[in-house]
Amino acid sequence: MATTACFVIVSRNDIPIYEAEVGSAAKREDAAQLHQFILHAALDIVQDLAWTTSAMYLKAIDRFNDLVVSVYVTADIHTRLMLLHDSRNDDGIKSFFQEVHELYIKTLLNPLYLPGSRITSSHFDTKVRALARKYL
Amino acid sequence: MVDPANTPLGRMLLDEISPVVMVLRTPLVEEACLKNGLTFIQMLKPFCVFNNIDVPVRTASDQPYRLQKFGLRLFYESDIRQPNLEVAKERLKQVITQAAEKDLSELCSDLPQINNAVSTSENEVLPSWFQFFNKELVHTVSFSDHEAFDHPVACLVVVSSKDDQPINRFVDLFNTNTLPSLLTSGAMDPKILKHYLLVHDNQDGPLEKATKILTEMRSTFGSDCQLLCINSSQDGMVEHQDYPWVLYKSDDLPSQPLRCFLNVDDFNEIKDLMQDLSTKHIIPYMEQKIRVLNQQVSATRKGFRNQIKNLWWRKGKEDVVDSPSGPTYTFNSNESQIRVLGDYAFMLRDYELALSNYRLISTDYKLDKAWKRYAGVQEMMGLAYFMSDQSRKEAEYCMENAFNTYLKVAPSSQQNATRCGLWWVEMLKARYQYKEAATVYFRVCTEEPLHSAVMLEQASYCYLLSKPPMLHKYGFHLVLSGDRYKKCDQIKHAIRTYRSAMSVYKGTTWSHIKDHVHFHIGQWYALLGLYDLAANHVLEVLACSHQSKTTQELFLRDFLQIVQKTGKTFEVLKLQLPEINISSLRVIFEDHRTYASSAAASVKEKIWVSLEEEMIPNLSTARTNWLELQSKLIPMKYKESNVCVAGEAVKVDIEFKNPLQIPLLLSSVSLICELSENSDEMQSDANSSMAGVQNDGESTKLNHRDVNFESSLFSVSDVGFSLRGGETTVVQLTVTPRVEGILQIVGVKWKLSGFVVGFHKFETNPVKMIRKRIQKAKHPHSDNLKFVVVKSVPKLEGVIHPLPKRAYVGDLRNLVLELRNKSEFAIKNLKMKISHPRFLNIGKRESLNREFPACLEKTNSDHSGVLANPTDISHSMFLFPEDTIIQGETPLLWPLWFRAAVPGNISLCITIYYEMGDISSAMRYRTLRMHYNLQVLPSLDVSFQISPCPSRLQEFLVRMDVVNKTSSESFQVHQLSSVGHQWEISLLQPVDAIFPSQSLMAHQALSCFFMLKNHGKPSTSEDEISSHFRLQGTDVRLGTQGSSGPHFDIASSPLADFHHCERLHQEILHKGDTSTVDFILISRPLKNDNNPVGSDPSHLFSHHACHCRQVFTASTSSISWLVDGPQTIYHDFSAPFCEINLSMTLFNSSDVVASVHVNTLDSSTSDNLNDATPVQPATSSDNQEGWHDLSLVTDIKVTSDVLKVRTSKSTPVESVSPFIWTGSSSTRVQLEPMSRTEIPLQVCVFSPGTYDLSNYVLHWNLLLSNDQGNRDRRSSGKCQGYPYYLTVLQSD
Repeated sequence: MATTACFVIVSRNDIPIYEAEVGSAAKREDAAQLHQFILHAALDIVQDLAWTTSAMYLKAIDRFNDLVVSVYVTADIHTRLMLLHDSRNDDGIKSFFQEVHELYIKTLLNPLYLPGSRITSSHFDTKVRALARKYL
Repeated sequence: MVDPANTPLGRMLLDEISPVVMVLRTPLVEEACLKNGLTFIQMLKPFCVFNNIDVPVRTASDQPYRLQKFGLRLFYESDIRQPNLEVAKERLKQVITQAAEKDLSELCSDLPQINNAVSTSENEVLPSWFQFFNKELVHTVSFSDHEAFDHPVACLVVVSSKDDQPINRFVDLFNTNTLPSLLTSGAMDPKILKHYLLVHDNQDGPLEKATKILTEMRSTFGSDCQLLCINSSQDGMVEHQDYPWVLYKSDDLPSQPLRCFLNVDDFNEIKDLMQDLSTKHIIPYMEQKIRVLNQQVSATRKGFRNQIKNLWWRKGKEDVVDSPSGPTYTFNSNESQIRVLGDYAFMLRDYELALSNYRLISTDYKLDKAWKRYAGVQEMMGLAYFMSDQSRKEAEYCMENAFNTYLKVAPSSQQNATRCGLWWVEMLKARYQYKEAATVYFRVCTEEPLHSAVMLEQASYCYLLSKPPMLHKYGFHLVLSGDRYKKCDQIKHAIRTYRSAMSVYKGTTWSHIKDHVHFHIGQWYALLGLYDLAANHVLEVLACSHQSKTTQELFLRDFLQIVQKTGKTFEVLKLQLPEINISSLRVIFEDHRTYASSAAASVKEKIWVSLEEEMIPNLSTARTNWLELQSKLIPMKYKESNVCVAGEAVKVDIEFKNPLQIPLLLSSVSLICELSENSDEMQSDANSSMAGVQNDGESTKLNHRDVNFESSLFSVSDVGFSLRGGETTVVQLTVTPRVEGILQIVGVKWKLSGFVVGFHKFETNPVKMIRKRIQKAKHPHSDNLKFVVVKSVPKLEGVIHPLPKRAYVGDLRNLVLELRNKSEFAIKNLKMKISHPRFLNIGKRESLNREFPACLEKTNSDHSGVLANPTDISHSMFLFPEDTIIQGETPLLWPLWFRAAVPGNISLCITIYYEMGDISSAMRYRTLRMHYNLQVLPSLDVSFQISPCPSRLQEFLVRMDVVNKTSSESFQVHQLSSVGHQWEISLLQPVDAIFPSQSLMAHQALSCFFMLKNHGKPSTSEDEISSHFRLQGTDVRLGTQGSSGPHFDIASSPLADFHHCERLHQEILHKGDTSTVDFILISRPLKNDNNPVGSDPSHLFSHHACHCRQVFTASTSSISWLVDGPQTIYHDFSAPFCEINLSMTLFNSSDVVASVHVNTLDSSTSDNLNDATPVQPATSSDNQEGWHDLSLVTDIKVTSDVLKVRTSKSTPVESVSPFIWTGSSSTRVQLEPMSRTEIPLQVCVFSPGTYDLSNYVLHWNLLLSNDQGNRDRRSSGKCQGYPYYLTVLQSD
């Protein structure tokens, strides 16, 4: 389990629709905003990279000090799954992204879910956290 | 591709990497120069840079080339040393602070737009002081011993003509101990080019003396001597238009224009001097040195042999030196010479030569592990690659290598690394690789927060300038930079960076980012004392429900502090604390519909409308003609808008929600309203609409209105409350208009923690209204928050007391309805309707003062109790007496009876209609709506089962099952009454036997039996209802003998009325017979606490069971019969036989004529009864008879067919039948409805014994007319006779 891991799903217009601190480290007060800043800043690079490859998993694309940003771009290119982490477990991150993507698709299939709106389902949240424990 | 020399880096290198000239001067020289406000070097500086010197240069190769640009750097001998780091830092700090002072005004301006930032060019974006700052940073590492380009190439020795013995001065100057350590420590060759200069101040005297000294100098020092005359202006001060020093003005020069004594001749002389120095002395000297060194290097290092030797030598040297800074090299070491050669070549723009030497030396340094020198050489290689515009990759690689090596070596080389990084950045920028440049800037950051701040800010601009602009990164780095600025107290810079970042983060949904940026910039503004701006920013982060509790507290506390410091009440439109749920907005107003309580207002309008349907005059019929007064009073225009009455409050329910986890204190919560008096209808409408438009624009204006004026028009309620964390509260706010006009509710305002005023305007645009209409179906026309205020009319207020919140089923209570009309105008014509007449019944006015339940007690006199209300209760509309007028302070009291009929949650709606006494008022009528919710719990569950008495006609056994369904209450069953005068109920057993414990505990069940007798002709149901409502019946006291409670008169008003309601209600369930009986069980609760036995006299429970019918065991036959005759007979059987006469009484209980046909079966053929034989010998007792009786009765119906089959088999066994029927074997009679008849029967017995005379069959047939063809009832049937036992004994 990574000590720091911040997972965000960013939708169209760079709006975060899901955020979760999934790291095992004790939560620090200022960590949350730093993580958001780093992830937000990495969006620029995602934008560049997303069009250069057909792969969904973009691997680690950005770093800030010892924190690395890994990104998985879904098929509609607007929804990006971003993970800020300090571990080097590339395979685990990839599996994590794939499974979360599946979860996200299931959420999309919900007729009551408006695409691009915030994901508030507690079921989704617990699933994501379980996946984080499993893979990261 | 731009010429590398013309890029910023190229120009920078031209400045930084150019020959250094050390200046040695006497104090008198300086003095002469200072007359002009300039030092000697400052005076010469403008003339040290040559853009078009055009000197032919020949270095190592034979091919000469022309040098166009050239420059010299002049330094006093005292400055040629490694600069003091602390001083440098201090200076850098000053630079930044100064820069901050400049743009203070900008900080208060509007936020920059990101689009503007992107579109502006590089120069506009970058603050100008960045360049200067970078230059200063680079200068912190000048004159290090490992870099030869900072080593002085020449020495300019200057002596004034006023000095004593100038020749000696020249010698002294060079020989002093003040020479820089570079020369003395052996890092560079102390034998450098010397140039002697004599300065003559023309103001001090004629030139002759100076020329004399010059010739003397020439003879002493050779030809390198020159004379410089300054201050030759004759007519005092000269103001120069094209002042050459202005161009080179930097911050260390005094900024105001100088008046000086230098004239044009002096300028030209200085210019010539410097050009001469460069072209004739310094450049040739360097050329020569390059050639000499090149020859040496070629001899020692070039060629295969030398390389091998060098390698060998290095290997051997390896283990000797291992000091942390690497080996030291003196100026005459091979390595130093190569470096000097490279640097000189670089300065003379022979990059090829420089590169080859750098390459050579870098491997040596690497092998020697002289890392700092290695890095320095790598750095120069990178620059040389860049300047010669060769491989970019190589250049970058070299720079990176140098940068990393510097960082790796030691913290002492941090400055070197910084300089290297800055050059690297410039190199990348020159090639438009802004993104890479930004990362390099980021890497340049050190622990020193101020440096990092500036570097990060520069990095952010690089991101902005990259194509396409990387705005996210831009914002992030600005924020990082701002944080570092804040760390070293550069608040203005911090704010500046955050403001720029704000353009990126404006409107972001990344909550933490938004909070961070707004909160910090707000705090910093507060530090600067700009509290208004600060408050505006902190305001943004207040509704931070995602933050932790401590953070929320911090935000709110800071916000309140800042607002306090502004020193005025702070008004905020759409303050987010607390949140207002606009969709919850509910307006309760009273036009002709008035509400007794808020609960009544929340009941659906539909229910009220259906309830009031019959009471309210139809609008079309009410208005008799089109000149009707009413239509005038309310203008047509406002037909669709809401009407409210002056002096009556309009209530608005608003839901406030505290999004935070900390409590909020709200005070002065009130509505913002506008009321325009309608002096002239049309105009006022126009006015109000105008006002509305204005207020859309500027809402805060509302608050500054004249309060006195407003309060005369209307008054608003003022509420204060506190919201705990996460709490949601619905607050009711009211506005009471005082005059007629048009009232508009604009919004709501509140005070947070006493001094922050929040506003919220209710949107009234049409789009919103549509949505509201859906949500508030309650008031079809009320979605508009605009009201027409009409003249005050009377309003009725009503209350029912004491209506219980919860009751047990059957609870009977006496309540009082109190109606008040506060105004002096009378109201009349009251009508009342109750939604649940089963629960609430209107009493008579006389019973108001009676004591309950004593008034229900039966007294001896016949008409004592209050008789039942003769009005038709089923209709349930109650008209108050015509003369009822309510006015002034006197309330109208009216008794109501309450009885909890069925368990469940009941919502009781009562509506009272009244008309105004004053015809001229705007409303003709109003309704008062009252609403009560009550919970009815199950108590006693009573059920009755009636079965006919087998032995008697018109008598029935009643079994009553009572179950106490409460969980804790105990009841005492008091009285059971049967309703209807033809019924009479009586006890079957003494009371004590039924109720040994005299009470029913919780969950206890009880069954008891009663005898019910029908005496006399039943009256038809029509009779009962129409002619004679008074309920008659018989009662059975079930209480104990000791506590002789009163008998209750079931005919008294509430009981009878409720019974009637129950009848009506239960009739739906039991459709059918008239021969039904109703029971009323009256019970009382037992006091629970101190007196468990005694009953509570003030409470009474009545349970009504209506339409109980007899249950026929055999079939639903309506014909009953009874065989009557002797039971035991003594007969002397010496006589041939015994004749016994019996009679059969037939009763038709149906309402039609029945034809009955009795067949007696002959005993010889059809005495089938096998069981007659066993009975025969027995001397039967009563008990046995009864036992047999039951079993037979139940069996007969089922087995009658089977028995017949069996009879044929049994005939041979029985030879003689014991008895035979005599007389007619078949009798047919017609029976009128509800009548009885008697048929004689005779039987002959031949021997003593006991006989069962049940072998007869009764056929009955109802003669129904066609319209009476009722499916439910059987029209015909066949009954087997039931046993009648006859015992015949031998008489003695």
